[in-house]
Amino acid sequence: MLKVENLYASYGAIRAVHGISLEVAEGELVALLGINGAGKSTTLKAISGVLRPIQGSVMLYGEEIGNRKPEAIVKKGISLVPEGRDIFGGLTVEENLRLGAFASYDRARYKEDLEEMFGLFPILKERFHQAGGLLSGGEQQMLAIARALMSRPKLLMLDEPSLGLSPAMTDQIFELIVTLRERGTTILLVEQNAERALEIVDRAYLLATGSLEFAGTPDEMKRKVDLTSVYLGGDEDETCEVRL
Amino acid sequence: MTGAGTVSEFLRRRSTTWILLVPMLAIGVLLHFFGTSLQVNIYTYFCVNLMIVLGLQIFMGNSGILAWTHVGWMGIGAYVSGILSMAPMVKSLGVPNMYPFLVQLQVPHPLIAIAIGGVVAAMVAAVIGWPLMRLSDAAGVITLFATLIVIHVILTQWDNVTNGPRTFFGLEEFTTLPVALVGATLVLLVARWYRESSLGLRLRASRDDRYAAAAIGVSVVQVRYVSFVLSALIAGLAGGTWAHFITSFQPKAFYIVETFMLLSMIVIGGQGSISGAFAGTALVTAAREGLRQVEAGINNAGVFTFEVYGLTELVMAVLMVIVLIWRPNGVIGGQEITWPIIKRRR
Repeated sequence: MLKVENLYASYGAIRAVHGISLEVAEGELVALLGINGAGKSTTLKAISGVLRPIQGSVMLYGEEIGNRKPEAIVKKGISLVPEGRDIFGGLTVEENLRLGAFASYDRARYKEDLEEMFGLFPILKERFHQAGGLLSGGEQQMLAIARALMSRPKLLMLDEPSLGLSPAMTDQIFELIVTLRERGTTILLVEQNAERALEIVDRAYLLATGSLEFAGTPDEMKRKVDLTSVYLGGDEDETCEVRL
Repeated sequence: MTGAGTVSEFLRRRSTTWILLVPMLAIGVLLHFFGTSLQVNIYTYFCVNLMIVLGLQIFMGNSGILAWTHVGWMGIGAYVSGILSMAPMVKSLGVPNMYPFLVQLQVPHPLIAIAIGGVVAAMVAAVIGWPLMRLSDAAGVITLFATLIVIHVILTQWDNVTNGPRTFFGLEEFTTLPVALVGATLVLLVARWYRESSLGLRLRASRDDRYAAAAIGVSVVQVRYVSFVLSALIAGLAGGTWAHFITSFQPKAFYIVETFMLLSMIVIGGQGSISGAFAGTALVTAAREGLRQVEAGINNAGVFTFEVYGLTELVMAVLMVIVLIWRPNGVIGGQEITWPIIKRRR
């Protein structure tokens, strides 16, 4: 459904992503792995339109969306849960969720989706009228994911959902990702925790310094890539080691 | 959701409006029939202020952008409605240099004049806001402030329309207490509706985090622009209502001093909510009138050998500092008052 070809993106003069191509099929759970600064978040931002790509194409169901504004891309069905849980702390949980649904607001559908979110995240029902900023880190992450789901995305992009969470909460979030995927949501996941991510995904891409190093199934990735050296640093000038 | 849940939810959503509106109207009606003329005057003034401050809340409260231009729109509304509602005779007397075609221009009813004043203010805001709403942070605030200065200069220098820096007088005293009450009620309903509307919600999201709002598909410039124009429309209407209450004014009524009075109202109460703007307006109006009496009392009694002057401003400033330290989000804060007013903590 999503096809990214030869994507370039930069922050001013600093080029963060050069020539990445990737694909996500309907119903797939795909991970983007790599160390800090590899260009994972930048890739997600470029796909969601928050950062305008300087070159390359982003196609959703064969339609070019690479130069659209973020609001148009959300309407097309791509939802991003940004890194660091960008929920609206001054707004209530209810308002946060309503914002997620605004792009295609329909009263009946909103009620229905809300009930579904309460099923997935019972805590949000308890905290419905509290300010989002009063929630704990894990609850905020759940709210951020629920908010993104309220727009009924065809593709959900999660940027480091386990960042800064306790191990128990991280387990919950990973379980949730599996549940979402079983419900049929297509997910593109960025994760630092490569070991955990490889346990649940269908396929993974490995990025290093803004370009693609490796793509394959978790088994292939585990067999051919020395993940320890990727994250802890192997040889001095090799950001990543691929055993062929 | 259960039936009881839906009812309490309904009450919760609607309660803020009633909590504010019922006492406001009740006191207004009581004063109208039993109040002294001074009380009626103060309350009318409070209602007009409420219109202005709630208009300010629509843009500033929801977007978090300091809206310097607000009194400017009020001034445009005041002058336009004044020119349109006054009889040609009175105008040629009050503004000797006025353009002849403006002297002849008169609409049959002050309400129409006030409405046109609001529309003109909104149109000017629509033109100026187009580039300005694209700016953010310091650049945005400075250009809004500069716009206020420009409006002020035009009001003081355009002799043929505003009578220059001299007093513009001779308006009919159309704004009685019932008129002001109806005006305040309407503006309160609009501000309440707007805050909860999809547009208002998106604007509040952009205040919280502009980038996160953009990421979920909020067009920040667009929601700011629409709110800016709506806010100016209400400021213009409120300015016309104010003008027909005061009946004579000068351009300096729409400048820094008045801006600070409005800001103190919205900041002390809490700009994020309608309840806050309402409470701030009530508090500051009451404090201002009370202090004025104290000031007059001290001066009349001759306690000091010199005249005490500026006590009101001084106390307002101290009050504002205290509130900003004690409750940075205002006395009420960013959330509305809802029923039940006192909640059990979970």
